[in-house]
Amino acid sequence: MLPHESATLHVTGEAVYIDDIPTSEQLLHGRVVYSPHAHAKIKSFDLEEAKKVDGVFAVLCYKDIPGHNDMGPVFKDEPVLASDTVNCVGQAIFLIAAENETIARQAEKLIKIEYEILEPILTIEQAIKKNSKLQPSRKIECGNIEKGFKEAKHIIEGELRTGAQEHWYLETQTCLCIPGEGNEITAYSSTQHPSETQAIIAEVLHIPKHEVEVQIRRMGGAFGGKETQANHTAAWAALLCKATNRPVKIRLFRDDDQKITGKRHPFLFKYKVGFDDDGIITAIDEEQNTDGGCATDLSMAILERAMMHADNSYFIPNMKIIGHAWKTNLPSNTAFRGFGGPQGVACMETIIDRIARYLKKDAAEIRFKNFYKISDRNTTPYGQLVEQNRLYLLWDQFYESSEYSIRRKAINEFNNKNEFYKKGLALTPVKFGISFTTSFLNQAGALVNVYKDGTVLVNHGGTEMGQGIHSKIQQIAAWEFGVSTDRIKVNATNTSKVPNTSATAASSGTDLNGMAVKNAIDTLKKRIAAVVGNEFRKKYDGEKTTRDEHIRFENDFLFDQDHQERKIKFEDAISIAYLQQTSLSATGFYKTPDIYFDREKGKGKPYHYFAFGMAITEVLLDTLTGHHQIVRADILHDVGESINPRIDIGQIEGAYIQGVGWCTTEECKWDAKGNLLNHSPDTYKIPNVQDIPKDFRVQLLKGASNHNTIRKSKAVGEPPFMLAMSCWLAIKDAISAIGNHKLEPDFSLPATNEVMLLSIDKIKLQLLY
Amino acid sequence: MINENSTIQFLLNDKQVSINYNQVNNFSPTTTVLQYLRNLPQTKGTKEGCAEGDCGACSVVIVSLNVENKLEYKAYDSCLLFLPMLHGKQLITVEYLKSKNELHAVQQAMVDTDGSQCGFCTPGFIMSLFALYKNSKNPSREEIDDALTGNLCRCTGYRPIIDAAIKSCSNHRQDHISENEFEVIEQLQKINQLKETNSFFTATQKYHKPHALADALKLKFSFPQALVVSGATDVALRVTKKHELLTEIIDISGVEELKNRIEENDRIYFGAGLNLEDVRLKTENSLPALHKMLNVFGSRQIRNRGTLGGNVANASPIGDMPPVLMAHNASVILESIYGKRELKLTEFITGYRTTQLKPTEIITGIKIPKPDKNIILQSYKISKRKDLDISTVSAGFSLQLNNESIVVDIKMYYGGMAATTKEPLQTKQFLIGKKWERKTIEEAMQLIDQEFTPISDARSGAEARKIMARNLLLKFWTETKIK
Repeated sequence: MLPHESATLHVTGEAVYIDDIPTSEQLLHGRVVYSPHAHAKIKSFDLEEAKKVDGVFAVLCYKDIPGHNDMGPVFKDEPVLASDTVNCVGQAIFLIAAENETIARQAEKLIKIEYEILEPILTIEQAIKKNSKLQPSRKIECGNIEKGFKEAKHIIEGELRTGAQEHWYLETQTCLCIPGEGNEITAYSSTQHPSETQAIIAEVLHIPKHEVEVQIRRMGGAFGGKETQANHTAAWAALLCKATNRPVKIRLFRDDDQKITGKRHPFLFKYKVGFDDDGIITAIDEEQNTDGGCATDLSMAILERAMMHADNSYFIPNMKIIGHAWKTNLPSNTAFRGFGGPQGVACMETIIDRIARYLKKDAAEIRFKNFYKISDRNTTPYGQLVEQNRLYLLWDQFYESSEYSIRRKAINEFNNKNEFYKKGLALTPVKFGISFTTSFLNQAGALVNVYKDGTVLVNHGGTEMGQGIHSKIQQIAAWEFGVSTDRIKVNATNTSKVPNTSATAASSGTDLNGMAVKNAIDTLKKRIAAVVGNEFRKKYDGEKTTRDEHIRFENDFLFDQDHQERKIKFEDAISIAYLQQTSLSATGFYKTPDIYFDREKGKGKPYHYFAFGMAITEVLLDTLTGHHQIVRADILHDVGESINPRIDIGQIEGAYIQGVGWCTTEECKWDAKGNLLNHSPDTYKIPNVQDIPKDFRVQLLKGASNHNTIRKSKAVGEPPFMLAMSCWLAIKDAISAIGNHKLEPDFSLPATNEVMLLSIDKIKLQLLY
Repeated sequence: MINENSTIQFLLNDKQVSINYNQVNNFSPTTTVLQYLRNLPQTKGTKEGCAEGDCGACSVVIVSLNVENKLEYKAYDSCLLFLPMLHGKQLITVEYLKSKNELHAVQQAMVDTDGSQCGFCTPGFIMSLFALYKNSKNPSREEIDDALTGNLCRCTGYRPIIDAAIKSCSNHRQDHISENEFEVIEQLQKINQLKETNSFFTATQKYHKPHALADALKLKFSFPQALVVSGATDVALRVTKKHELLTEIIDISGVEELKNRIEENDRIYFGAGLNLEDVRLKTENSLPALHKMLNVFGSRQIRNRGTLGGNVANASPIGDMPPVLMAHNASVILESIYGKRELKLTEFITGYRTTQLKPTEIITGIKIPKPDKNIILQSYKISKRKDLDISTVSAGFSLQLNNESIVVDIKMYYGGMAATTKEPLQTKQFLIGKKWERKTIEEAMQLIDQEFTPISDARSGAEARKIMARNLLLKFWTETKIK
């Protein structure tokens, strides 16, 4: 199996990111001047002194925007540059283009601006109090919760908080804009969504979309952080480029990137669960409150996915989920791997964990009992049937191989013997819906060109951010054409090659674009087969004739499957096709079949299929310092038939570790004025090499091919992120051991050592009295 | 004394480079090596991830001649290096590793193990792996982890990168870089012949790079306001993050006399210019508590630059070294052209980032008494992330018990609990004369709680800091109690 298609370029430093693109001496440095206040009225400003600085080519404010002053992706509530009020620290107000950074900074200091400070809303509680909502609330409901609670023998209520997470892509937001003739502009943007970047630039500059070309070869990480918010940097660079008619590059400095851009949505959950003596859930009443920040961005879709993952892998006969997206004076929170799913799952797994502690049973047992069943108890709260349920296949292969019960016993013994070190263990499953819940987004296009030397250039709408989409597309194209992968090159993603694409998001990149590429290749193969069929019929004139549809493409040859001696090299076939005036370029298209969702009713079949996985994590906790070590992690994950196991394993491991970061050390704190305190890696701690499991066992589920997807595969980008729940709950299990599992520990996400130590201290106090 | 030859010379991979600050206007003496590389067309492999030494995407390897005229390969964060620090060295960037069309062993291993996904952090990892490859055969997992601690990857989860380290370093071959060593040695010797001070004057900045201690002291006398740097791992941030113009700098990193380690009868002397990695490697047996703290101090790249003198001079309340050094009863040696003086570290640091250092003085060494067999020394550090993080709370303890387990003396220095490293004196007084047992400790923990009023910040709230402080005393007890 092949490595990542760019692996050699990565290791030699030859891979080109936006900031590495050779530029001319005309290039100007673009700088964003942003608000230092969370909420304020702009009373007046004066840019004259700044404009006078030698080497400054433009200082722009909202009045200088030729088109719409808005860069919101769905809801238009996000100004490109603030006009009369600022709504968060980090909101852009002015733009500067200068010869270099030093001059730009010098100019920034000369900008005069007067604010009238307004009271900010900085927490979900404050927003609730002021009823500050981004959009109307949502509801998903099934069964009858009153009835469900009546049937319950036990009822637990509680709250859970999950924190923000900074994407911390290694490459910060970057865009290079180059002016063309007339209205033309080319943007090299580190974006997951080139078509939207193109649209926003066009709207902001007030020019038609066909004047704007957006290209991205690769991103240095994205994780959702460049799905909509790359548009911002692109819009700013485009404005400066048009104002100066010179190339302009904006690359956000790390601290600015962390301050300006949105994060994973923090949530505050309130839940009530009813269950019987066996721990089988009869009803859940759940309220989801999310902090969307100062603009809608993708908050409603994220909330929707959080609500649709409130069940995780469990059948809840009676469930009501209310979702509110609150408007606060923080940067607009945005997409991040899992897109609300992890938050929804965290609440459900907390509920299960609490039921187990309440009933003094093992949590894995409670999980198993509540799993979606195969032929009944298999409808989600939003009405979709859980088909091709892999939970039992996973459980059967996993429970034994991970030695769960043996380890549980050993851990209990360890905990009985040790006062200050405790071990914890947790098994958590994931069921993750694959498709954009906004159904029309589930479409993709491709443009495949075959050149006269028999090489192939594949264009598709997906963007490469490290996940290996181009590698998988290259393989798909090679398989479909029956040629070696070195014949196939996947081009940089470009809006002038494939138009009107959806974001590379929702883990769907390969599913959608792979199908579109296949579709284009099918068209080309038909044309080429017709030419070759003719050739064969001419050459092998006999009783048995060659049928075009029986021509096969394999091993860099075309042959007649009925007469295998009738054979021609791929490049020779292409050469003949060209001479016979055949089009060797074709577009392809794909839309996911049979999916729909009715938002009003909260019902439908929003997902093409579900991806499943299971993880067990064992931690060792030093209860005096709050330092933990992942002793061992086992993962078994369902990717259908893997297109590239090396890449899929990489996605699973990487997602799990990123999830561990969200659950443990990654913490965003704001001060009372709305300033982000953790705005650099100095205080924002993503996992490093020392934090990974000492024993890490990751496997792909075998014998579970998917239906009706490209090469029977499954999406893999996001689902394994949620497997980190097992780490989070293993830590809670270790804390719980201090009170001999009789006391419910205070717990929130991330479980930083601060959270742990406070929780441990409280348990110790409770034990004293 | 001052050779106002404003030209620095170094090797950039295999090419000799001279930069004359009087003739170039796009670089200043405080231009970082990263900024320099990003400005050249052929060295875009080196990436900026954070510009503060926390992510390692800008890692490079710098090759220096050691005293035996052999080449030493070490990884550094190029964002924390000022260009003049390259003088007389070879700078190796990721572009140099491939020879003809063959990948270097560490590069091939990274391809084979899927060590890259988005690829942005990869050149930095490659350089850390290259340094590891040059310095160890068959490294242990601990050594690999340590060599990679200074590099962040957001995609892979690190497992494949560890595998790449194992794969490449266990199958050691001569690389093309070793083949050119002879020439490199010759070239570096030539540049390093001149042992005079290099001073770079621009319209706004003075940057002096002395090679002899006497010269450094004279410079400090002539330019008392000058900032003395050696590793500059902290000072560089004033340039890269705060965009300060540092007008006068004396860079003592080239002064070999400050890099001695001398065993005296009852003390061990460390030159202030010794880098922390060297100190770490030399203290495993002699000063285990200090060594333990250094194991979680920054990253390999940071320790390769940062010095013991610098960490002490910083006088940060969350500096890793002061608590353990104070527990060791360490002293600081200060020198000026007028002479030498020695101060206890506890006296040297006077408050939040303030010390008794006079404008004409330079810290030249740290003296640590050899631990008495009857004294138990220990250090602890609590941070949000275990490695490459700044302390939330740290502590250095020194305990002397008599035969009946009665506390004869105790030192308990805490970092992160006040504006400066602080000892809870009432608790200390309470403990002296008491039996070293759980009951005593629990009472002392209540006292500690009353003695400190820590702040809440990005790292932790005040309440958790208090828990940490008292828990560390308990932890110390659990590790010292007589069974």
